[in-house]
Amino acid sequence: MIQPGRRIVILVMQQALLCLDLPRRTSFASPMPKAPRAPQRLARMQPGKREPAEAPHWEVLIRAIAADQDRDAFARLFAYFAPRVKAFMQRSGVPADAAEELAQETMINVWRKAALFDAGTAGAAAWIFTIARNLRIDAYRRTQRGIDATAAEFEFELETDDAMQPDAAMIAKQDQTRVRAALDQLSAEQLRVVELSFFEQQAHADIAAALGIPLGTVKSRLRLAMNRLRDLLDGQS
Amino acid sequence: MSIQHHPDDALLSAFAGGTLDSGQHVAIATHLLACARCRNFVRTMERVGGSLLTDVPPAPMSSNAFAAVEARLGEAPPSRPVTPSLPEGETEIPGLPKFVRRYRFGRWNWVAPSVHVRPIELPEPGQTRVFLLRSGPGTRLLQHSHTGVEMTCVLAGGFSQEQGHYGPGDFDLGDESIDHHPVVDADGDCICLVAMQGELRLAGLLGRLMQPFVRL
Repeated sequence: MIQPGRRIVILVMQQALLCLDLPRRTSFASPMPKAPRAPQRLARMQPGKREPAEAPHWEVLIRAIAADQDRDAFARLFAYFAPRVKAFMQRSGVPADAAEELAQETMINVWRKAALFDAGTAGAAAWIFTIARNLRIDAYRRTQRGIDATAAEFEFELETDDAMQPDAAMIAKQDQTRVRAALDQLSAEQLRVVELSFFEQQAHADIAAALGIPLGTVKSRLRLAMNRLRDLLDGQS
Repeated sequence: MSIQHHPDDALLSAFAGGTLDSGQHVAIATHLLACARCRNFVRTMERVGGSLLTDVPPAPMSSNAFAAVEARLGEAPPSRPVTPSLPEGETEIPGLPKFVRRYRFGRWNWVAPSVHVRPIELPEPGQTRVFLLRSGPGTRLLQHSHTGVEMTCVLAGGFSQEQGHYGPGDFDLGDESIDHHPVVDADGDCICLVAMQGELRLAGLLGRLMQPFVRL
């Protein structure tokens, strides 16, 4: 979906989330204050050891919470997702203590919002990801406003905007299995770049240094990966 | 009327990843409200986030974490803060996401002949100013560029510039490299939501003469 007349691709690519590498880093603010990064923080994801991304039982467990306030189901979700949300927070630059609190808060929101979960709209993992992401945004905004970052008084707004729901016709095309399949089709390097930049919000220059490859290569890998995902969305893969 | 101009994939991913500042978040959200296609790409990127979440090597929780959480399950959810809505009697502005309507809106200010801006106050300080821009029919905005990134989403009416015509929902991104030369459609006001970093630079002799008088 390259738009005719689009003329800003290169600069956008340099600046958007995925590229916070230029001197004008403030253009796209990195939401979380970055903790110093040791090289080992680039620790590998585990593509070889993936659990099935959307194992049906996660969704069943969420429904069990919604229907019966099932604490056993919650305990199983907690055991699996809480440590991953914590790791996600830490990889985003959140210090360990705050990451722990945000992970706990994420799981409490999973409990509270279980009735809102719609398996047709989001897979369980994607849904929990958005809860964690929104809490991270909230935490960052609170720190900017000088409010205690652990207070839970502010809720991310967009979730509640009805009009933000996706169109039913598009949903079938973007189920988690296909997203997973697209990720699996990426080369190891592309996947690494996507993971680092999307998930860890790391500056592209940092990624280039960490991986020992030129910045331009990071960008081209990222663009290829994005094109692949776009193809998936459009049903061309 | 279909939307012709979209944010690019990297920007949509930044939205999905939660890494935009709040002003830019507002601009992208405004486009998403109008654009099912981009909304669905954001959903896809959220699924990418879900996949990555399941892949990340877990970080052990503290030993009492589950007990602490379980003890709180019975708590009532926090009440939402009361946020202001558009003042009574204000004309409803189409195309704004609900959450933006809860922000505080300033007054319409004159900035140039037939051009007014209305600031939107974000709840937290940031690099990006957000405002509504209303331009009269046929207004030829002075050619300009930016010292930072400027995102524009059309709410009502339309304008044309080098890249084509922009109508409701269309999104434009400008930066230092772009000289804008927009001309508002002849048949009515154009209202845009703008998220702007840095300063506006007017081009040409007239623009340089005007610069001190354009209060933007």
